[in-house]
Amino acid sequence: MMEELHLKRQTAVKHTVIMLILLGAIFALHIIGIILLLVATIDNAWWMTDTISTDVWARWILQNGKWNYTDLPEGSHYPQDYLQAVQASSVLACIFSILGIFVFVAQLFTLNKGQRFTISGIFQFLACLCIMIAASIYTDIFHRNEANGWYGHCFILAWIAFALTFISSITYFVLRKKTA
Amino acid sequence: MLTFLALASVVLLGIVPEQSQAIVIYTGWERHALVGSDIRLSCSFFSWRWTSEDVTFSWTYRPDGSRDSISIFHYTGGAAYVDNKGPFRDRLEFVGNPSRRDGSILIKNLEFSDNGTFTCDAKNPPDIVGRPSSVRLLVFEKVPIQAGVITGAIIGVVLGLLVLIVVIYYLMRFLVARRVFSLSVSKHGKKKKEGSQQRQGPVPPADPSKVAASAVTRG
Repeated sequence: MMEELHLKRQTAVKHTVIMLILLGAIFALHIIGIILLLVATIDNAWWMTDTISTDVWARWILQNGKWNYTDLPEGSHYPQDYLQAVQASSVLACIFSILGIFVFVAQLFTLNKGQRFTISGIFQFLACLCIMIAASIYTDIFHRNEANGWYGHCFILAWIAFALTFISSITYFVLRKKTA
Repeated sequence: MLTFLALASVVLLGIVPEQSQAIVIYTGWERHALVGSDIRLSCSFFSWRWTSEDVTFSWTYRPDGSRDSISIFHYTGGAAYVDNKGPFRDRLEFVGNPSRRDGSILIKNLEFSDNGTFTCDAKNPPDIVGRPSSVRLLVFEKVPIQAGVITGAIIGVVLGLLVLIVVIYYLMRFLVARRVFSLSVSKHGKKKKEGSQQRQGPVPPADPSKVAASAVTRG
Protein backbone atom coordinates (compact mmCIF):
# COMPACT_ATOMS: atom_id res chain seq x y z
CA MET A 1 0.00 0.00 0.00
CA MET A 2 2.73 2.41 1.03
CA GLU A 3 4.89 1.34 -1.90
CA GLU A 4 2.00 1.99 -4.27
CA LEU A 5 1.53 5.47 -2.89
CA HIS A 6 5.28 6.13 -3.03
CA LEU A 7 5.42 4.99 -6.65
CA LYS A 8 2.44 7.16 -7.54
CA ARG A 9 4.09 10.20 -5.99
CA GLN A 10 7.34 9.51 -7.83
CA THR A 11 5.61 9.31 -11.18
CA ALA A 12 3.64 12.46 -10.35
CA VAL A 13 6.86 14.32 -9.59
CA LYS A 14 8.50 13.00 -12.76
CA HIS A 15 5.43 14.05 -14.70
CA THR A 16 5.60 17.59 -13.32
CA VAL A 17 9.29 17.84 -14.10
CA ILE A 18 8.72 16.70 -17.67
CA MET A 19 5.89 19.20 -18.01
CA LEU A 20 8.11 22.00 -16.75
CA ILE A 21 10.94 21.07 -19.10
CA LEU A 22 8.54 20.93 -22.01
CA LEU A 23 7.10 24.29 -21.08
CA GLY A 24 10.59 25.75 -20.78
CA ALA A 25 11.57 24.36 -24.17
CA ILE A 26 8.49 25.76 -25.89
CA PHE A 27 9.02 29.12 -24.22
CA ALA A 28 12.69 29.14 -25.22
CA LEU A 29 11.81 28.24 -28.82
CA HIS A 30 9.39 31.14 -29.03
CA ILE A 31 11.87 33.58 -27.47
CA ILE A 32 14.64 32.49 -29.84
CA GLY A 33 12.23 33.00 -32.73
CA ILE A 34 11.52 36.54 -31.52
CA ILE A 35 15.21 37.34 -31.16
CA LEU A 36 16.01 36.07 -34.64
CA LEU A 37 13.13 38.06 -36.12
CA LEU A 38 14.25 41.23 -34.38
CA VAL A 39 17.85 40.87 -35.53
CA ALA A 40 16.79 40.12 -39.10
CA THR A 41 14.49 43.15 -39.18
CA ILE A 42 16.60 45.80 -37.49
CA ASP A 43 20.15 45.01 -38.60
CA ASN A 44 21.22 46.06 -42.08
CA ALA A 45 22.84 42.97 -43.51
CA TRP A 46 20.63 41.11 -45.98
CA TRP A 47 23.12 41.40 -48.85
CA MET A 48 26.83 41.95 -48.49
CA THR A 49 29.84 42.49 -50.70
CA ASP A 50 33.41 43.40 -49.79
CA THR A 51 32.57 47.06 -49.40
CA ILE A 52 28.86 47.29 -48.73
CA SER A 53 26.41 45.80 -46.29
CA THR A 54 22.93 46.59 -47.40
CA ASP A 55 19.44 45.85 -46.34
CA VAL A 56 15.85 46.93 -46.23
CA TRP A 57 16.49 50.13 -44.28
CA ALA A 58 19.86 51.62 -45.28
CA ARG A 59 23.27 50.80 -46.65
CA TRP A 60 26.66 50.71 -45.03
CA ILE A 61 29.44 51.65 -47.45
CA LEU A 62 33.13 51.21 -46.64
CA GLN A 63 34.94 54.37 -47.77
CA ASN A 64 38.55 55.09 -46.90
CA GLY A 65 38.50 52.60 -44.09
CA LYS A 66 35.33 54.02 -42.52
CA TRP A 67 31.83 52.65 -42.68
CA ASN A 68 29.31 55.27 -43.78
CA TYR A 69 25.59 54.99 -43.21
CA THR A 70 23.92 55.98 -46.47
CA ASP A 71 20.57 55.79 -48.16
CA LEU A 72 19.46 52.91 -50.38
CA PRO A 73 19.66 53.59 -54.12
CA GLU A 74 16.48 54.32 -55.98
CA GLY A 75 15.71 53.05 -59.41
CA SER A 76 14.26 50.26 -61.46
CA HIS A 77 16.64 47.69 -59.99
CA TYR A 78 15.59 48.69 -56.48
CA PRO A 79 11.81 49.01 -56.61
CA GLN A 80 10.51 51.11 -53.75
CA ASP A 81 7.17 49.36 -53.40
CA TYR A 82 8.71 45.90 -52.98
CA LEU A 83 11.21 47.34 -50.53
CA GLN A 84 8.42 48.78 -48.44
CA ALA A 85 6.58 45.46 -48.61
CA VAL A 86 9.63 43.68 -47.20
CA GLN A 87 10.02 46.30 -44.48
CA ALA A 88 6.36 46.18 -43.50
CA SER A 89 6.01 42.41 -43.41
CA SER A 90 9.19 41.85 -41.42
CA VAL A 91 8.09 44.43 -38.84
CA LEU A 92 4.65 42.80 -38.71
CA ALA A 93 6.28 39.41 -38.13
CA CYS A 94 8.16 40.80 -35.11
CA ILE A 95 5.01 42.36 -33.70
CA PHE A 96 2.94 39.18 -34.09
CA SER A 97 5.61 37.06 -32.49
CA ILE A 98 6.06 39.35 -29.48
CA LEU A 99 2.32 39.58 -28.97
CA GLY A 100 2.19 35.80 -29.26
CA ILE A 101 4.51 35.25 -26.32
CA PHE A 102 2.36 37.47 -24.12
CA VAL A 103 -0.78 35.71 -25.29
CA PHE A 104 0.86 32.34 -24.56
CA VAL A 105 1.68 33.36 -20.99
CA ALA A 106 -1.86 34.66 -20.52
CA GLN A 107 -3.34 31.46 -21.92
CA LEU A 108 -1.17 29.41 -19.57
CA PHE A 109 -3.09 30.86 -16.66
CA THR A 110 -6.56 31.22 -18.10
CA LEU A 111 -7.08 28.11 -20.19
CA ASN A 112 -9.14 25.22 -18.93
CA LYS A 113 -7.60 21.78 -18.67
CA GLY A 114 -7.52 19.90 -21.94
CA GLN A 115 -7.85 22.93 -24.17
CA ARG A 116 -5.36 23.87 -26.85
CA PHE A 117 -3.31 27.03 -27.18
CA THR A 118 -4.97 28.01 -30.41
CA ILE A 119 -4.70 31.79 -30.14
CA SER A 120 -0.96 31.66 -29.43
CA GLY A 121 -0.61 29.29 -32.34
CA ILE A 122 -2.50 31.70 -34.58
CA PHE A 123 -0.20 34.59 -33.65
CA GLN A 124 2.92 32.51 -34.27
CA PHE A 125 1.49 31.28 -37.57
CA LEU A 126 0.81 34.86 -38.67
CA ALA A 127 4.39 35.77 -37.75
CA CYS A 128 5.62 32.80 -39.77
CA LEU A 129 3.52 33.87 -42.75
CA CYS A 130 4.74 37.46 -42.60
CA ILE A 131 8.42 36.64 -42.42
CA MET A 132 7.97 34.15 -45.23
CA ILE A 133 6.43 36.88 -47.37
CA ALA A 134 9.27 39.26 -46.53
CA ALA A 135 12.06 36.79 -47.23
CA SER A 136 10.42 35.51 -50.42
CA ILE A 137 9.95 38.96 -51.88
CA TYR A 138 13.54 39.86 -51.04
CA THR A 139 14.87 36.67 -52.58
CA ASP A 140 12.90 37.07 -55.77
CA ILE A 141 13.21 40.77 -56.47
CA PHE A 142 16.49 42.13 -55.13
CA HIS A 143 20.05 41.36 -56.20
CA ARG A 144 18.95 38.79 -58.78
CA ASN A 145 21.73 39.43 -61.28
CA GLU A 146 24.56 40.53 -59.02
CA ALA A 147 27.36 38.01 -59.13
CA ASN A 148 29.77 39.58 -56.64
CA GLY A 149 28.20 39.44 -53.27
CA TRP A 150 26.52 37.03 -50.93
CA TYR A 151 23.47 36.91 -48.68
CA GLY A 152 24.22 38.34 -45.26
CA HIS A 153 23.34 37.04 -41.83
CA CYS A 154 20.01 38.85 -41.62
CA PHE A 155 18.72 37.04 -44.68
CA ILE A 156 19.75 33.66 -43.28
CA LEU A 157 18.27 34.49 -39.88
CA ALA A 158 15.00 35.48 -41.53
CA TRP A 159 14.63 32.05 -43.11
CA ILE A 160 15.66 30.28 -39.90
CA ALA A 161 13.10 32.37 -38.01
CA PHE A 162 10.49 31.24 -40.54
CA ALA A 163 11.27 27.61 -39.72
CA LEU A 164 11.29 28.18 -35.96
CA THR A 165 8.03 30.09 -35.90
CA PHE A 166 6.42 27.41 -38.05
CA ILE A 167 7.50 24.66 -35.64
CA SER A 168 6.38 26.82 -32.73
CA SER A 169 2.93 27.41 -34.16
CA ILE A 170 2.46 23.69 -34.89
CA THR A 171 3.44 22.97 -31.29
CA TYR A 172 0.85 25.40 -29.99
CA PHE A 173 -1.84 23.91 -32.19
CA VAL A 174 -1.08 20.38 -31.00
CA LEU A 175 -0.34 20.97 -27.33
CA ARG A 176 -3.04 20.55 -24.73
CA LYS A 177 -3.05 22.06 -21.30
CA LYS A 178 -2.33 19.22 -18.93
CA THR A 179 -2.42 20.72 -15.44
CA ALA A 180 -4.88 23.28 -14.12
CA MET B 1 5.61 125.52 -24.74
CA LEU B 2 3.34 122.58 -25.47
CA THR B 3 1.97 124.09 -28.65
CA PHE B 4 5.51 124.79 -29.81
CA LEU B 5 6.43 121.13 -29.23
CA ALA B 6 3.30 119.93 -31.03
CA LEU B 7 3.98 122.13 -34.04
CA ALA B 8 7.61 121.05 -34.14
CA SER B 9 6.71 117.35 -34.00
CA VAL B 10 4.16 117.74 -36.80
CA VAL B 11 6.69 119.53 -38.96
CA LEU B 12 9.39 116.98 -38.21
CA LEU B 13 7.08 114.03 -38.88
CA GLY B 14 6.07 115.68 -42.07
CA ILE B 15 9.68 116.24 -43.14
CA VAL B 16 11.29 112.99 -42.02
CA PRO B 17 9.62 110.54 -44.44
CA GLU B 18 10.38 112.84 -47.36
CA GLN B 19 14.09 112.92 -46.75
CA SER B 20 14.91 109.42 -45.55
CA GLN B 21 12.61 107.35 -47.70
CA ALA B 22 14.56 104.17 -47.52
CA ILE B 23 13.86 101.00 -49.40
CA VAL B 24 13.46 97.97 -47.11
CA ILE B 25 14.46 94.63 -48.53
CA TYR B 26 13.07 91.34 -47.23
CA THR B 27 14.55 87.90 -47.67
CA GLY B 28 14.39 84.88 -45.41
CA TRP B 29 16.82 84.49 -42.54
CA GLU B 30 17.89 80.90 -43.14
CA ARG B 31 16.91 78.22 -45.60
CA HIS B 32 17.38 74.46 -45.26
CA ALA B 33 17.43 72.10 -48.23
CA LEU B 34 18.47 68.59 -49.19
CA VAL B 35 21.29 67.74 -51.57
CA GLY B 36 20.00 67.38 -55.10
CA SER B 37 16.80 69.30 -54.52
CA ASP B 38 15.79 72.77 -55.72
CA ILE B 39 15.40 75.82 -53.55
CA ARG B 40 13.67 79.13 -54.17
CA LEU B 41 15.28 82.14 -52.53
CA SER B 42 12.76 84.90 -52.19
CA CYS B 43 13.49 88.61 -52.19
CA SER B 44 11.00 91.40 -51.91
CA PHE B 45 11.13 95.05 -50.99
CA PHE B 46 9.04 97.81 -49.50
CA SER B 47 9.22 101.30 -50.92
CA TRP B 48 7.10 104.44 -50.53
CA ARG B 49 7.29 105.07 -54.23
CA TRP B 50 5.56 103.31 -57.05
CA THR B 51 7.51 100.50 -58.65
CA SER B 52 9.49 102.19 -61.37
CA GLU B 53 10.41 100.69 -64.69
CA ASP B 54 14.10 100.92 -63.81
CA VAL B 55 13.76 98.67 -60.78
CA THR B 56 16.82 96.46 -60.33
CA PHE B 57 17.48 93.27 -58.38
CA SER B 58 20.89 91.76 -57.83
CA TRP B 59 21.97 88.68 -55.92
CA THR B 60 25.47 88.00 -54.65
CA TYR B 61 26.83 84.83 -53.10
CA ARG B 62 29.45 84.41 -50.42
CA PRO B 63 30.48 80.80 -49.71
CA ASP B 64 30.80 79.63 -46.12
CA GLY B 65 34.22 80.42 -44.78
CA SER B 66 35.11 82.78 -47.60
CA ARG B 67 35.40 86.54 -47.44
CA ASP B 68 34.68 87.32 -51.09
CA SER B 69 31.29 87.73 -52.65
CA ILE B 70 30.55 86.90 -56.21
CA SER B 71 27.67 88.38 -58.14
CA ILE B 72 25.36 85.75 -59.54
CA PHE B 73 22.22 87.50 -60.73
CA HIS B 74 21.20 90.90 -61.98
CA TYR B 75 17.88 92.20 -63.25
CA THR B 76 17.78 95.56 -64.92
CA GLY B 77 15.96 97.32 -67.70
CA GLY B 78 13.35 94.61 -67.89
CA ALA B 79 15.89 91.81 -68.55
CA ALA B 80 17.30 89.18 -66.21
CA TYR B 81 20.98 88.18 -66.38
CA VAL B 82 21.87 84.88 -64.68
CA ASP B 83 25.22 83.43 -63.79
CA ASN B 84 26.84 81.77 -66.81
CA LYS B 85 30.43 81.43 -65.61
CA GLY B 86 30.37 81.01 -61.87
CA PRO B 87 29.38 78.20 -59.52
CA PHE B 88 25.73 78.41 -60.46
CA ARG B 89 25.95 78.28 -64.25
CA ASP B 90 23.04 76.41 -65.78
CA ARG B 91 21.49 75.99 -62.33
CA LEU B 92 20.05 79.44 -61.74
CA GLU B 93 16.67 80.64 -62.89
CA PHE B 94 14.77 83.84 -62.33
CA VAL B 95 11.27 83.13 -61.02
CA GLY B 96 10.38 86.53 -59.69
CA ASN B 97 7.94 89.19 -60.86
CA PRO B 98 9.55 92.61 -60.76
CA SER B 99 6.31 94.48 -61.30
CA ARG B 100 5.07 92.87 -58.10
CA ARG B 101 8.33 93.66 -56.33
CA ASP B 102 9.40 90.01 -56.30
CA GLY B 103 12.97 89.23 -57.20
CA SER B 104 13.18 85.54 -56.31
CA ILE B 105 15.60 83.11 -57.86
CA LEU B 106 15.53 79.34 -58.14
CA ILE B 107 18.67 77.24 -57.65
CA LYS B 108 18.41 73.72 -59.01
CA ASN B 109 20.24 70.53 -58.07
CA LEU B 110 21.89 71.76 -54.89
CA GLU B 111 25.38 70.66 -53.95
CA PHE B 112 27.28 70.79 -50.70
CA SER B 113 29.43 73.61 -52.07
CA ASP B 114 26.31 75.81 -52.22
CA ASN B 115 26.38 76.35 -48.49
CA GLY B 116 26.75 80.05 -47.90
CA THR B 117 25.12 83.44 -47.66
CA PHE B 118 23.04 84.93 -50.48
CA THR B 119 22.51 88.68 -50.46
CA CYS B 120 19.72 90.44 -52.33
CA ASP B 121 19.98 94.09 -53.20
CA ALA B 122 17.00 95.85 -54.77
CA LYS B 123 16.79 99.41 -56.03
CA ASN B 124 13.68 101.30 -56.96
CA PRO B 125 14.79 104.62 -58.49
CA PRO B 126 14.69 107.25 -57.08
CA ASP B 127 14.45 105.16 -53.91
CA ILE B 128 17.91 103.74 -53.81
CA VAL B 129 19.04 104.09 -50.22
CA GLY B 130 18.62 100.79 -48.50
CA ARG B 131 20.42 97.96 -46.79
CA PRO B 132 20.76 94.66 -48.68
CA SER B 133 19.32 91.65 -46.93
CA SER B 134 20.99 88.24 -46.61
CA VAL B 135 19.68 84.70 -46.40
CA ARG B 136 21.81 81.80 -45.26
CA LEU B 137 21.52 78.52 -47.16
CA LEU B 138 22.20 75.20 -45.40
CA VAL B 139 22.39 72.04 -47.49
CA PHE B 140 21.76 68.72 -45.76
CA GLU B 141 22.23 65.16 -46.81
CA LYS B 142 19.24 62.87 -46.47
CA VAL B 143 19.41 60.79 -43.31
CA PRO B 144 18.08 57.27 -43.74
CA ILE B 145 15.99 55.59 -41.05
CA GLN B 146 18.00 54.73 -37.98
CA ALA B 147 17.86 51.44 -36.17
CA GLY B 148 16.55 53.10 -33.03
CA VAL B 149 13.49 54.36 -34.86
CA ILE B 150 12.60 50.87 -36.10
CA THR B 151 13.10 49.32 -32.66
CA GLY B 152 11.09 52.07 -31.04
CA ALA B 153 8.29 51.62 -33.54
CA ILE B 154 8.09 47.86 -32.94
CA ILE B 155 8.16 48.24 -29.17
CA GLY B 156 5.60 51.03 -29.29
CA VAL B 157 3.15 49.07 -31.41
CA VAL B 158 3.53 45.97 -29.26
CA LEU B 159 2.95 47.87 -26.03
CA GLY B 160 0.02 49.71 -27.52
CA LEU B 161 -1.63 46.51 -28.67
CA LEU B 162 -0.99 44.86 -25.29
CA VAL B 163 -2.62 47.74 -23.49
CA LEU B 164 -5.53 47.51 -25.91
CA ILE B 165 -5.92 43.76 -25.33
CA VAL B 166 -5.81 44.18 -21.54
CA VAL B 167 -8.36 46.98 -21.68
CA ILE B 168 -10.68 44.93 -23.86
CA TYR B 169 -10.29 41.93 -21.56
CA TYR B 170 -11.24 43.93 -18.46
CA LEU B 171 -14.05 45.59 -20.35
CA MET B 172 -15.39 42.15 -21.23
CA ARG B 173 -15.19 41.09 -17.57
CA PHE B 174 -16.96 44.26 -16.52
CA LEU B 175 -19.73 43.59 -18.98
CA VAL B 176 -19.85 39.98 -17.80
CA ALA B 177 -20.53 41.21 -14.28
CA ARG B 178 -23.61 42.88 -15.70
CA ARG B 179 -24.65 39.62 -17.40
CA VAL B 180 -24.54 40.96 -20.91
CA PHE B 181 -22.43 38.09 -22.33
CA SER B 182 -23.79 34.74 -21.20
CA LEU B 183 -20.89 32.82 -22.80
CA SER B 184 -18.34 34.27 -20.44
CA VAL B 185 -20.74 33.82 -17.51
CA SER B 186 -21.01 30.06 -18.13
CA LYS B 187 -17.21 29.80 -18.38
CA HIS B 188 -16.84 31.65 -15.12
CA GLY B 189 -19.45 29.37 -13.53
CA LYS B 190 -17.47 26.32 -14.62
CA LYS B 191 -14.25 27.78 -13.22
CA LYS B 192 -15.84 28.42 -9.85
CA LYS B 193 -17.15 24.86 -9.81
CA GLU B 194 -13.67 23.47 -10.54
CA GLY B 195 -12.08 25.70 -7.93
CA SER B 196 -14.26 24.92 -4.94
CA GLN B 197 -16.46 21.84 -4.80
CA GLN B 198 -18.59 23.08 -1.90
CA ARG B 199 -20.07 26.26 -3.30
CA GLN B 200 -22.96 25.07 -5.37
CA GLY B 201 -24.73 28.41 -5.05
CA PRO B 202 -24.42 30.18 -8.37
CA VAL B 203 -24.46 27.05 -10.57
CA PRO B 204 -27.66 25.04 -9.71
CA PRO B 205 -30.26 27.03 -11.67
CA ALA B 206 -28.89 25.42 -14.81
CA ASP B 207 -30.61 27.28 -17.61
CA PRO B 208 -30.92 25.35 -20.82
CA SER B 209 -29.38 28.34 -22.65
CA LYS B 210 -26.32 28.24 -20.44
CA VAL B 211 -25.88 24.53 -20.92
CA ALA B 212 -26.19 24.94 -24.67
CA ALA B 213 -23.69 27.81 -24.63
CA SER B 214 -21.15 25.80 -22.62
CA ALA B 215 -21.59 22.89 -25.03
CA VAL B 216 -20.78 25.27 -27.88
CA THR B 217 -17.57 26.49 -26.21
CA ARG B 218 -16.35 22.97 -25.52
CA GLY B 219 -17.01 21.86 -29.07
